[in-house]
Amino acid sequence: MVAVKRNVAGLVIVFVGAAVVQLAVSNTYLRYVKPGMRWMLLAAGLILIVLAVADVLADTRKKPEGEEHDHSGDDGHGHHGLPKAAWLLLIPIFALLVVDPPALGAAAASRQSPVASKPIQPKSNSWLADNPQGGPVNLAVRDYSVWAVWEKESMKGRSFSLTGFVTPAKNGNWYVTRMGLTCCVADATAFMVEARGQAAPPKNQWVTVTGEWAEPSKRVDGDVAALTVSSVKSVTAPANPYE
Amino acid sequence: MSAPSDVDEKAETPPKEPAGSSIAFTATLILLVGLALFGRRIFAGVFTDEVVRTWATMFVGVTVQALPFLVLGVLLSAALTAFVPPSFFAKALPKHPALAVPVASASGVILPGCECASVPVSAALMSRGVTPAAAIAFLLSAPAINPVVLASTAVAFPGQPKVVVARAVASIAISMIIGWLWLLTGKGSTWLKIPKNRHAEGTGKLEVFRSSMLHDFLHAGGFLVVGAAAAATLNVIVPRSWLDAVASNLLLSVLVLGLLAVLLAICSEADAFVAASLSQFSMTARLAFMVVGPIVDVKLIALQAGTFGPKFAIRFAPATFVIAILVSLGVGWWLL
Repeated sequence: MVAVKRNVAGLVIVFVGAAVVQLAVSNTYLRYVKPGMRWMLLAAGLILIVLAVADVLADTRKKPEGEEHDHSGDDGHGHHGLPKAAWLLLIPIFALLVVDPPALGAAAASRQSPVASKPIQPKSNSWLADNPQGGPVNLAVRDYSVWAVWEKESMKGRSFSLTGFVTPAKNGNWYVTRMGLTCCVADATAFMVEARGQAAPPKNQWVTVTGEWAEPSKRVDGDVAALTVSSVKSVTAPANPYE
Repeated sequence: MSAPSDVDEKAETPPKEPAGSSIAFTATLILLVGLALFGRRIFAGVFTDEVVRTWATMFVGVTVQALPFLVLGVLLSAALTAFVPPSFFAKALPKHPALAVPVASASGVILPGCECASVPVSAALMSRGVTPAAAIAFLLSAPAINPVVLASTAVAFPGQPKVVVARAVASIAISMIIGWLWLLTGKGSTWLKIPKNRHAEGTGKLEVFRSSMLHDFLHAGGFLVVGAAAAATLNVIVPRSWLDAVASNLLLSVLVLGLLAVLLAICSEADAFVAASLSQFSMTARLAFMVVGPIVDVKLIALQAGTFGPKFAIRFAPATFVIAILVSLGVGWWLL
């Protein structure tokens, strides 16, 4: 059992593996990466746990391991000790356990420009024109922020309903915001719609706003989608905060 | 037992005696369990600053995203070390190093995944006797030209197959140029620390597989954390609105997007989408972003410093960056 006791490497790897599995199982991973990563995270976490267990088992099987370690001068450590770099693996564990980092919110969004960049090949919104009747249309903030600027004709005079969090701006203005992920939060892009006509709810509050298309605001770097809001409803954050 | 030799001589915890390790083990265990149970209560109110929390999200995000690919990478590299005899590479690659380089570049197609996986794999190639020039060519081409990355590029730039072609051509060209450059200048140099072959004679293959995977993961994992911290810091510090100021100048914009790719350390499977969204920039500048990202970024520099030694990383990163920018300009002018 002495050999098992000394296996710091196994301990650290088990914790890393367990943390990754826990992220994948609990849906917490959705704060950091796209939904498609779930199975890869599960697999990686399980492989790490198996690796650590195998290492501990190998230790217990061959107790008298002194001879080989002794002569190896270039071997700074047996593998029971931990290379210095590996201690750094405890930092993300610390961050997860203690800081419990939230999904990206207004702080990250306000560092990006609210301007909707022109899509290279716009997603068609022809079904809007085909269904001229009906109450407010539920749209992703991501789609609205682009169409409201680049597909004006089909949006004019229609009412829409968007769900996102509140990003305050200057002079009491605020944006309904959603972050878009492709892979992980490092590539997050903010999609923002200026909400007009209603007082700003608290920062980072999730809301569903309903209102009518409005003429985009001009900025130096381009146009920002806008909505004349008639009603604001506070909602709970969706399981996947990203679009 | 095969003792995995530490590639990093200076990094060491001297005491091997049971008592020291035992204390380290107990302390680590208490620390981890204590944090898991009471961490949030102890530190309640400390990490409330928005910037700190955004940083933590970015840091955990980059780490969590890269981890599965790193595990895949160390799994493959351990398999190469344990199960593929060196004679296989001797037969598969042309004898002459100058010819082995393009073959290695092209074989980058077979490793699906992002750049974190290719570092341990190319280290394993070197330790199996593949000429460093060819292993370096593979290191550079694999994360850029594999099918997953090319497919995501095609999706990000719909109706513009020339972007995919330009990316593949530029990436292969860079990997070959760097490989040949290595043959010209790097041979016999002392600053590349070739990872040692940890294959001890008389040890079971499974044993070699297990111990080299464990060793590689512990090393690369630590350096991944350093890289993720750097990427998160830069992500939080550099406002993207700065970009607009330089978008109109071709040379400047190519340089700036190249640097941005280095600083943001976006996974090579995702960088095409970010490039597509940078629509105020010319196609050539966006090509530079996609070409630089998979071969040199802060996360990779940390990983390479850990695997091949800091002296290698400090020369390799600038050389790769300069050549990537030049090739992007050339290919952009030619194809885009």
